[in-house]
Amino acid sequence: MSLSNKINDLLKMASKFLFFLITIILFLISGCSTSTVVDEQKSSNANLNLESEEKIVVMGRRHGNSYETEPNFINCISNNIAGIGKLNVIKEQHFLDKFYPWFEPRVAPLSLKNMKNTLNKPIVIKQVQDLRIRYMVWVDGSTETTKESGSMTCGMAPSGGCFGFKSWDKTSSYEATIWDLKHLIEKGKVKVDSKGSSYLIGIGPPIPLIAQVQGVACEGISDRLRGFFSNK
Amino acid sequence: MMIKRILLAASIYVCALTAGCSTHVVVMSEHPSILIKPLPYKIGLVLNNSFTNYSFTREKDDEKIIISLGDSQTELFKKIFDSMFLEATRFQSKLLAKTGSLDLFVIASVDELQLSLPKETSVNVFEIWIKYKLEIFDQDGSLITEWLVSSYGRTQTRFLKSQERALNQATKAALRDAGAQIIVGLKTVPAIRDWVDKK
Repeated sequence: MSLSNKINDLLKMASKFLFFLITIILFLISGCSTSTVVDEQKSSNANLNLESEEKIVVMGRRHGNSYETEPNFINCISNNIAGIGKLNVIKEQHFLDKFYPWFEPRVAPLSLKNMKNTLNKPIVIKQVQDLRIRYMVWVDGSTETTKESGSMTCGMAPSGGCFGFKSWDKTSSYEATIWDLKHLIEKGKVKVDSKGSSYLIGIGPPIPLIAQVQGVACEGISDRLRGFFSNK
Repeated sequence: MMIKRILLAASIYVCALTAGCSTHVVVMSEHPSILIKPLPYKIGLVLNNSFTNYSFTREKDDEKIIISLGDSQTELFKKIFDSMFLEATRFQSKLLAKTGSLDLFVIASVDELQLSLPKETSVNVFEIWIKYKLEIFDQDGSLITEWLVSSYGRTQTRFLKSQERALNQATKAALRDAGAQIIVGLKTVPAIRDWVDKK
């Protein structure tokens, strides 16, 4: 066999290996993608009016025993609305401290009727007016790991790296409800459901292929919420 | 000489192992200002040494956990009662005679503290329960009511840097919850409501 034939065989093998590797990577990347469904419901087609000094607060529901709406998810929405939407947003923790104890998990009003009772307290309504809070967005939901499989061992392989394969599925489900504090009415709802699979491949150093399920849900809900408001 | 060195090395190793299984959390938290209209009464608030220096210790499965929350809960209770009433005077023990110019007299104590770690439950968070007992006396020193407040706190995220940090966060949340319950709930305790109606 001539040298050129050997080189040709070697190149064929290399291209087959490359094709195989690319197929695996594409398969894994496609597996990492998330699917998202966003649904919204408006009380009217007109955008919600927000004067230049008026503010929005985004709050997480934390009254349930089984889950809590994650503070980092609320921060993500607040930052997206404030950053891209150029709207005045009060940080959740700042709001909770300013109104302590009226919006703590055990005390926070779950309905507009209860919100009316809270706002009937002169000291609370004065604070709302002083801080010029016009809309309150309640976000209820969480991100859960629904399925886990595989295993990985680290430090046992001859190279000292990891060996194995692990995968998990995550599901995010959130619903945001907008309350107009001036007229004490509900102005709309946005619901987002997102899911995706993540992988961790251990052949030497572990290679994570993480699906940004919660991040995608945050983007989805923030986009729709921004669409509700018109800033004067 | 050799034996001494081995003993020294062994004792250092044992100390390191023991320290590794012990968690000591000193809860330091700044409590927010309270948004409430004060009630027009003067009260005496008893926070004795066992309350102000309160420390919880649990030893289980060769693991020792100490949570010192005396300072933090003292600050919280001072802040709560200073805001809820026209005037709140602090005492270290209950007055033996009549309370004089004070309308109410409140003795606060920790009845129970419980914790659960992620490895002990199916819920992958750190949880703390604190049960406070508030004994409330009238001007004549007669007991109006004994009110138990059960508060709860847990870590908000499952990925915290250390167990100390997680327990600290859960305890702070439980203190915050206790404060909220006392502020909102005191007026709704039937015996207190009756006392206010009579006043």
